[in-house]
Amino acid sequence: MSTLGRLNRGETNIDFLKWWKIGLALSVFLMVVSVGSLLTRGLNLGIDFEGGVSWEVSAPGVSVDETRTALDAVGEGSAKIQIVGTDIIRVQGPESTPEHTIEVTRTLAELADVDPADISFSTVGASWGGDVTKSAIRALVFFFIAILIYLTVRLEWRMAVAALVAVFHDVLISVGAYSVFQFEVTPGTVIAFLTILGFSIYDTIVVDDKIRENERLVGQSGRLTYGQMTSLSMNQVLLRSINTTVVSLLPVVALLVVGAGIMGAVTLEEFAIALTVGLLAGAYSSIFVAAPILVWLKEHQSKFKVIRERLQSQGVDVAHAAARVDLLGVTPGAPAIDGSSTSATASGATALGTTSTPSGVIPPRPRKNQRKR
Amino acid sequence: MRRLRGYGSLVTIVLIAAAALLYTLVAGNKPLLGLDLQGGVSVVLKPVQEVDNDTIDQAIAIIRQRIDAIGVAEPEITRQGSNILIQIPGVKDKERALELVGQTAELQFRPVLANVPIDPQEATTTTSGDPAATTTTAPGAPTTTIDPTKTVGGLSLDVCTAGMTAEEINATGQAVLPQCQDGVLVGSYAVGPVSLTGSALETARANLGETGQWVVAPTFKSGSDGIGGFNAVAGQCFSKGSTCPTGQLAIVLDGRVLSAPSINSQSFKADQIEISGSFTERTAKDLATALKYGALPVEFEQQQAQVVSATLGKDALHAGLIAGLVGLIAVSIYMMAFYRVLGLFAVLKLGIEAALLWSIISWLGANNGLALTLAGITGIIVSIGVSLDSNVVYYEHLKEDVNHGRSIRSSTDKSFVSAFSTIVKADVASLIGAALLWWLTVGPVRGFAFYLGLSTALDLLTSWAYMRPAVKLATRSKALLSRPWLLGIPAEKSQERGNQKSANRPTAEVPK
Repeated sequence: MSTLGRLNRGETNIDFLKWWKIGLALSVFLMVVSVGSLLTRGLNLGIDFEGGVSWEVSAPGVSVDETRTALDAVGEGSAKIQIVGTDIIRVQGPESTPEHTIEVTRTLAELADVDPADISFSTVGASWGGDVTKSAIRALVFFFIAILIYLTVRLEWRMAVAALVAVFHDVLISVGAYSVFQFEVTPGTVIAFLTILGFSIYDTIVVDDKIRENERLVGQSGRLTYGQMTSLSMNQVLLRSINTTVVSLLPVVALLVVGAGIMGAVTLEEFAIALTVGLLAGAYSSIFVAAPILVWLKEHQSKFKVIRERLQSQGVDVAHAAARVDLLGVTPGAPAIDGSSTSATASGATALGTTSTPSGVIPPRPRKNQRKR
Repeated sequence: MRRLRGYGSLVTIVLIAAAALLYTLVAGNKPLLGLDLQGGVSVVLKPVQEVDNDTIDQAIAIIRQRIDAIGVAEPEITRQGSNILIQIPGVKDKERALELVGQTAELQFRPVLANVPIDPQEATTTTSGDPAATTTTAPGAPTTTIDPTKTVGGLSLDVCTAGMTAEEINATGQAVLPQCQDGVLVGSYAVGPVSLTGSALETARANLGETGQWVVAPTFKSGSDGIGGFNAVAGQCFSKGSTCPTGQLAIVLDGRVLSAPSINSQSFKADQIEISGSFTERTAKDLATALKYGALPVEFEQQQAQVVSATLGKDALHAGLIAGLVGLIAVSIYMMAFYRVLGLFAVLKLGIEAALLWSIISWLGANNGLALTLAGITGIIVSIGVSLDSNVVYYEHLKEDVNHGRSIRSSTDKSFVSAFSTIVKADVASLIGAALLWWLTVGPVRGFAFYLGLSTALDLLTSWAYMRPAVKLATRSKALLSRPWLLGIPAEKSQERGNQKSANRPTAEVPK
């Protein structure tokens, strides 16, 4: 069967135990780069965070130099002038008086040959961005606490901790990307970063739910370490993770390419870049950050430690994922597996054949027990 | 009838969505566009010092009056914590609007040096017999059209909409100030330096006087900063000395003369002053409010001001809509390529959610003034992903169960139970995030959080009410069951087993 076919059936056998090590190296590398860049280059903060005035006007055919010459006359020659989107001129200068703001607005209107009412501008006090950031950070802290409690209640505290470490990782790397590429940070970016939290958690919950389903089986059979079982669960939900990421990413990429790239809507760009970076980080971290941390936490639990040590003493290679295994030892429709899989586990290799792990713990009941509708 | 059992929620949700959409179309409700989409002015004011709730409410009332004065449609003035958010959509004179809201205008009492009536129709002073009463001018509505190039009495005719600068108001010296009514210049006064400010007043109220006319009764504070100061200037005016030759005292707010009553008494008691004239109930109350709260009760700092041109706003709206549409088409194709008929059902689920969302947004826009901003549109585009995630989770669960030898039919209900539990966990986590964002943040973040939260809640509803019965409908269909590829589900094991030998799928690896 082709790889895609196996993926489609949830029958891939990727050794995530091995990939986690690579993932760990990559994550550490990215985090070091992020922190390093944040410390040395810092963030390119928009005027919303530092205070100032920003004008935007749609002026096809007007160059940055022409704009600078025109603005020199009203003392804004040193302003930051960019062309954003396709033909929108954006001028950013320091805080000034309302009279001066209006003077510049009129100059720009003359330059672009439009009515002054067609010019957008915003003035921001230096404290505004601080307030936005402060409220965002406060929301972040409360979010962490609320999610920690919620996941502890619905799943368990180890999963909650692992999920939050993954979220922290995502936010750090996303902010790091903004620092490395010097994208401008605006309130829109802050919003997008906050959304990333939700996405990251979503992916992690889907994976965790599957792990929890399989967990009981590990405890019962004792044939896999927690890590091997998690790697197996990952394989089972791989397509689900890929598809949820793709369907989330497609609209956001459309926002980036169509909205920002082709139509030149600046605000959309601000959202879309952060969302794209964050979504990719979120999908990655649910597999490569949340899961290994969960395994690490779990294998310190005595129950799973015992299983691991026992398997190790039996000469089982616990550092790698086991081959596809039938956790229940009972495969509907293929009872012949039973005996062979027992002998196989003893030597570390396992049953390949059936690849069956019913998603529910309960084996399928006979039809008559199904509720009739 | 039996066949319909289990599909009740499906029928209900489709009917509700259709009815909601129909109602929205018939009622003509449309989403209210935010400033960033239709153009306008938005200002965030922050009090300079700590203030209590009453003070903020007072300030909001005054700002609303000022904005109403320049005649714009539906200004939205709300408080966010101790900040005041002012949003004026579609205003033409943006500069003036911006100036107006931020001013910490001061109510001033200034002696009138000369009075230049502008329109012959203008009413002149009337006097009441009450010895403690003063009089005021109450001009009739003028009929002249405004020509901004013309000047009258040293004032250009558009001064009432253009406003006065601080130099023109010239608090310490002489100035020529306009009197305006509904944005039209109706009078011009040459006034002396400010002799008293609004802080001298304790309160003011409008009531019906003894003659059945509306009067305004201000009450001054005691002491030399209050009634003492007023009596000093009133004395000058009563005697028509050189500082107040007309005998009138002008009440000035934001550089405009609200009223210029004649002083009819040498001195007054703090709570026995009446301003009378041909007031209507509305004009009397307006003057009383101006006297009471004339100046903003606290100084504000303009934290953020945003002026969006209608053109750029429209461009952003179009870009957002087209991007949303392209994204929608892209995910629809992906879902249908992957899950075939089930994918189509997922897209239909988006349709139901869209109908409900559109109705809710339109209803909120029409009834609660909740505007749809660009951040909100982004939130909705993002929620397309959130909604389809639920379908993916369910469908993959279904495939997995079928892969493990369950029949498609029995898997439909069974996998929904576990899949829905995952969906609820994930959606509730999203909802917690959205709710916290909404409560704890300001400005555009709130709009985004609101729409993301709303669509997540709708996803929970449609996942339960629509997705389960719809999938059941598909998996009960004989035509589809015999062609599992149409469902994007692998063939059932029970069918497959017959023709698939264990030869190409080794059942166990032989230990070495």
